[in-house]
Amino acid sequence: MERAGLERRFSFRLNGGQVSVSAPPAHTLLEVLREKLHVTGPKEDCGKGECGACTVLMNGKPVLSCLVLVSQADGAEIVTSEGFMRDSLPDRVQKAFVEKGAVQCGHCTPGLIVSTEALLSRNPNPSVEEIKTALAGNLCRCTGYASIIRAVQQAARKDLGAVTQ
Amino acid sequence: MRLSEIEVVSSNSLADALNVLHDRPGRIKPIAGSTDAIIQLKDGSLQTNELLDISNLRELRYIRRDGSVVRVGALSTYSDIIDSPVLKSSCGMLVDACKTIGSLQIQNRATIGGNLGNASPAGDSVPPLYALNANVKIQSREHVRLVPIEKFFLGYRKIDLMPDELITEISFEAVERPCDGTFLKLGLREGHFIALVSLAISARWAPEGDRFSDVRVALGAVAPIVFRARKCEEYLRNRTLTDEMIWNAGKIAAGESTPISDLRASAEYRRTVTPSLLYKAVHMLIESRRGWEKS
Repeated sequence: MERAGLERRFSFRLNGGQVSVSAPPAHTLLEVLREKLHVTGPKEDCGKGECGACTVLMNGKPVLSCLVLVSQADGAEIVTSEGFMRDSLPDRVQKAFVEKGAVQCGHCTPGLIVSTEALLSRNPNPSVEEIKTALAGNLCRCTGYASIIRAVQQAARKDLGAVTQ
Repeated sequence: MRLSEIEVVSSNSLADALNVLHDRPGRIKPIAGSTDAIIQLKDGSLQTNELLDISNLRELRYIRRDGSVVRVGALSTYSDIIDSPVLKSSCGMLVDACKTIGSLQIQNRATIGGNLGNASPAGDSVPPLYALNANVKIQSREHVRLVPIEKFFLGYRKIDLMPDELITEISFEAVERPCDGTFLKLGLREGHFIALVSLAISARWAPEGDRFSDVRVALGAVAPIVFRARKCEEYLRNRTLTDEMIWNAGKIAAGESTPISDLRASAEYRRTVTPSLLYKAVHMLIESRRGWEKS
C-alpha cells in the first residue's frame, strides 16, 4: 500500500519575513529552504554535519540546516546569508569577503558569512584565535583560510569604526 | 526508509512525550538535537517510521545546583554546558570536554542526554561523567530510576534504556576544594576531531597536599566503552606523588586499556600516549593546587 503523502504545514520567520510551507516533517530544513522556498544561500556539500556549508542562524545561533528537521524549525527564527543583505546590497561582512579575496569557488561562503555574523554580533573585536574557533565548523578547500581571517578582521574594524564615529 | 515517509510527533511536555513512548514503545524513536540521528536516518543505520521530537521540551533544559549536587537537564546543549556559570565553578572538566565536541554549530544543537542515548563509543562527554560518578535519571510513564553511569553503559553501543524510557537528567557532586578534576583529549589536530585517547580524572587531595586520598580515572576511546582504570586509581590513592610514580600510574592505566588500531591511530600508539596523558593531567591538578595555596 502506498503511504499517504505525509506533508504538513510549517511556519517560521525567515530572513525577517513570515513563511508558511508544506513539507514532509522529516525533511531537513536545508532541503525545504532550497527546494521549496528557493533560498539557495545554504548549500548541501556533505549532508552530514562536517562542512558547515549549510549553516544558518536558528533563534540567533549558528546551526547546520542539514541536521535540523523542518518540523524542528516550526515557529523558529531562521536567518540565512541572504538575510544579512541591506537594501539588496551586500553588508560589511559580505563586502569584506569580496575585498579580501576570501571567496574562490564560493561554495563555503554563505555558511562562513553566517558564522562570521554570529561571531561579530557576540564579540565585535575577536582575536585570530577566537575567529578560528568560531569558524572551525566551516570548511574551505580553496583559500587556505588566511584571506577569510583577514576578511573577518576587516568587517570587525568596520563595525568598531562605525561605533567610534 | 526515505525521510519523506517518516512521521514526526513533536512533544512539548515530558508527560506527553512519556505517554507517546508508552503507547508506541520501540516503534517511535525519540530524537533531541538530532545531530547524530539525521545522519543515521540518511545512512540507514537508524530505521523507523516515526520520530518523537523532544528538542523543544524546555522543562529538560536546565543546569542548576541543589546544595552539593549539580543537576543537568538531559536536553541541555553543549553550548548551554560551555556557557554555564554553575558548571564553570562546579565542574570545569565537563565544560572542557564539551568544548572539544564538534563545531559551534553542533554544540548549539547536540544535547548531553542525546549523546548518552545514542550510546556513541566516541562520546567525549562520557569520561568526565565516569570520573564524576554521575547518575543518569531515567523516566517512563510508570517509573523513575537512577542509574550510575557505569551501569548505564552495558557494552559497545548498548545502554540500559528501555524503549518507553527517556533520559531526563544527569547529576553529580560538585567538584570543589579539596577535590579537583581535569579532562584531556588527544587528537590529530586542533579544531573538531575524534579522540584517539581521552582521559578524565577527579581527585580529592589529602590534607597534607602531597597525595590524593581518593581518585577516579576514566579513559575514553581505548576500549569498547569508557572505563574506570581501577588499578591505576588504586596505585595513585594515598601514595605520595612523585614523577616516577605518576609515570608508573600511567603505565598501569595503559595496561588496563584494550585499544584497537583504526584509521586514526594504531593500538600501540594509543597505549604509548596514555601514560603521557595521565602524567599531564596529574601535573595539571598539582599546578591547580599550587594556585589554591597562593590564593
